[in-house]
Amino acid sequence: MARIDGIRKATGAAIYAADVQRPGMLVAAVVRSPFPSARIKSIDTSEARAMPGVHAVLTGEDVGPALFGRRVRDVPVLAQGIVRYVGEAVAAVAAEDRPTAERAAAAVRVEYEPLPAVLTPEEAWAPGAPRVHDAPWSYEGAVVKPEDPGNLQSRVGWQNGGDVDQALAQSAHTVDLVFTTPAQHQGYIEPQACVCEVGRDGRTRVWAANKSPYRLREQLTVPLGLSPERYEVRPVPVGGDFGGKGAPMDVPLCAALARASDRPVKLARRYSEDLMAANPAHASRTRVRAGCDADGRITALDVHLEWSGGAYAGYKPVPTVNLHGAHGAGSSYRIPAIRIESLVAYTHTVPGGHRRAPGAPQTVFAVESALDELARVAGLDPVAFRRANLLREGDATPLGDRYAEVRGVETLDAAMAAYRPVPAPAGMRHGMGIALYDRGTGIGRSSMALRAEAGGGVTAFVSFPENGAGAHTAVQTLVARGLGLQPAQVAVEHLSTDELPPDDGVGGSRVTASIGELVARAVAAYQSERPEPGQSVTATLEPGGTRRVTAFAVQIAQVAIDPETGRVQPLHILSAHDVAEVVNPLAHEVQIEGGVAMGLSNALLEDLAVVDGRVTAANLGDFKLASQRDVPPIEVVLVPGGLGVGAGNVKGIGEMGNVAVLAALANAVRDALGARVCALPITSEAVYRVLHGEAGQ
Amino acid sequence: MKVHLRLNGAGVEIDARPDAFLLEVLRDQGLTGAKEGCGVGVCGACTVLVDGAPVSSCLLLVGQCDGCAVVTAEGVGQLAPHIAAAFSDHEGLQCGICTPGQVVSAYALLRKNPHPGDAEIRSYMAGNLCRCTGYASIRRSIEAAANG
Repeated sequence: MARIDGIRKATGAAIYAADVQRPGMLVAAVVRSPFPSARIKSIDTSEARAMPGVHAVLTGEDVGPALFGRRVRDVPVLAQGIVRYVGEAVAAVAAEDRPTAERAAAAVRVEYEPLPAVLTPEEAWAPGAPRVHDAPWSYEGAVVKPEDPGNLQSRVGWQNGGDVDQALAQSAHTVDLVFTTPAQHQGYIEPQACVCEVGRDGRTRVWAANKSPYRLREQLTVPLGLSPERYEVRPVPVGGDFGGKGAPMDVPLCAALARASDRPVKLARRYSEDLMAANPAHASRTRVRAGCDADGRITALDVHLEWSGGAYAGYKPVPTVNLHGAHGAGSSYRIPAIRIESLVAYTHTVPGGHRRAPGAPQTVFAVESALDELARVAGLDPVAFRRANLLREGDATPLGDRYAEVRGVETLDAAMAAYRPVPAPAGMRHGMGIALYDRGTGIGRSSMALRAEAGGGVTAFVSFPENGAGAHTAVQTLVARGLGLQPAQVAVEHLSTDELPPDDGVGGSRVTASIGELVARAVAAYQSERPEPGQSVTATLEPGGTRRVTAFAVQIAQVAIDPETGRVQPLHILSAHDVAEVVNPLAHEVQIEGGVAMGLSNALLEDLAVVDGRVTAANLGDFKLASQRDVPPIEVVLVPGGLGVGAGNVKGIGEMGNVAVLAALANAVRDALGARVCALPITSEAVYRVLHGEAGQ
Repeated sequence: MKVHLRLNGAGVEIDARPDAFLLEVLRDQGLTGAKEGCGVGVCGACTVLVDGAPVSSCLLLVGQCDGCAVVTAEGVGQLAPHIAAAFSDHEGLQCGICTPGQVVSAYALLRKNPHPGDAEIRSYMAGNLCRCTGYASIRRSIEAAANG
């Protein structure tokens, strides 16, 4: 079935945040810190203010000290006398056009006194290390206490079963490995962008590349000191999200500029600004210790994760202010003794945010690589080792979570049944690697309305934006099915935050499951109330109330390696998924293919290359995203018949495609090389060093 | 400075700054199909045709286009609506931000070779990044447009 938004997008008619035009609109430019840690001695805006066409120049003093954040409110709208990362906003300009705004921004004179910086968690924990924040426990939403280590953002840990250290000491085979991943931008092609306009009624209207408009509305209230009703977040599609478009980002600053200039203002970032100063995936360092007995049964798993949280915690939305991917370490297997600890450090680097299954790609890379190595150390086939250790029906996970069904073995068997070796080109070495991931599916808070139209059709009004994954098309499909209509009789319209009860936004692999339940409720209300044309019914959804469901994904990667140059050529990726009902088979398949390509890009190409606290891969030529030529054939295998959630009986797919691909590729490289590369991205240089025995960096 | 373009088939005279890039001028004309992605000629989201050749409009000064025929995604939508339809039907897009550029490049490719093979599509389209789809559905869309 065709996408409901397909033609509009493909012909350029769809209006994204950066495309919005308002009468009298100004354009903003931002002055950013060149230092990772410094005191602002003075800011001279006189020259910028005097430039023709400049309507507002704001500094930290002008916007005041109020802080924003998704959970921890620790992010200033503009720096308050201190800068904490390269790229932090120090001042901002609104002017008639972009060249004028950028010239005026360049004319703002800022005098800094550089201060010592901590750039990694290791440096952040060191005794006597400079503190990124004097009193991080004092921020609203903070989860740390005065007695915690000075630069701690968050610490979570879990353990279950027997004594991990004892079990490891008694294991026939063990591994103890350290894995690292760099900071990685989400790679959305649309840079962060917003437009703000203060109406005659004093309300601020916002158009923003943001996936959770109702949350944005709430998040705006503190820094600008107005109640949620004073904001209206207008509907626009999101030009790529992958977790990176959930924070208020530049909206508080843009709104302040709109107020100061009394004109609508657009703040659309240059991509280089986005790479250096948005909210990329956290850099990680993970130590994994794992053991098994002489028969290859896993005895214990100990996972210690340290994340570089960057200068602010405010870009992480969850109550723990951590990365929930850490909780899934080892979750697919029977492990009688497990311990996981996950620490996030404040560092003088770009603040870390969410990316497609936050923390899971890094965690699964480390754990699935370590378990692969454990199998090899034990002299066992990595596939057979996994199969023997996978959870079986009725098992709880190592941390004690129970699900309605457990289909890891079925998914692995389906993947292996479909697996066909692809020959490596002449002169290159072949490698095959496998990795697993499992993730629960939930539903989220949401709302919609159905209005009867003359002629028998309906319009579905929805509260959530279209970030690309096809939510609006799914609504159309399910409403048509529910009411016995043709899809063409169902229009879908995204409304502003004034119009419907709150929605939590698109993410967490919960959208289709939520829509399945939400549409069922709307259809039931529609059928019982039988609205006249022009009248509508509203349905809402709250989280919870569903059976506990998880889904398994098995990724099998094949690579060829050139032994002379170290070049890694991906040959094929097979992606097998445990599914229940699939609402739109084609969109589902493309979600998987897109996820796999993203995982491949994460594994082999992407590195923001933070040097001395500065993002040095500051354009898309240096921060490389996989292109048409980099992505090998992807084969999708579905294992149907699973138990889903909600009326749609759905398992999530949005974050199933990408996560385990990093580990599958790393394991394929290990298979080809006979040695393991433990740092991402796996570049030709890294492989060359392994092949030719040169010491690593 | 005054610049004359044949823009999506119609002659226009535009008053532009000498340092303006074609992308900015097109967007100021309300043709916002071309997007600023990377801004440095890597991602392809700003792709338009200048005298029939696909170019990154973020890198081309508008003065260099004086007297040229410029076709944008909006224009391709008129000239070859079946390409946009194929992308829509075959899920050759998700978020859509790169899609106008993809469609312009696909149009140029199909004019060069009405039935390109897989390797030719991959090579020709390598300058149009897409973070959503993983590219296979874009190739399927182009193949469908070629056959449709």
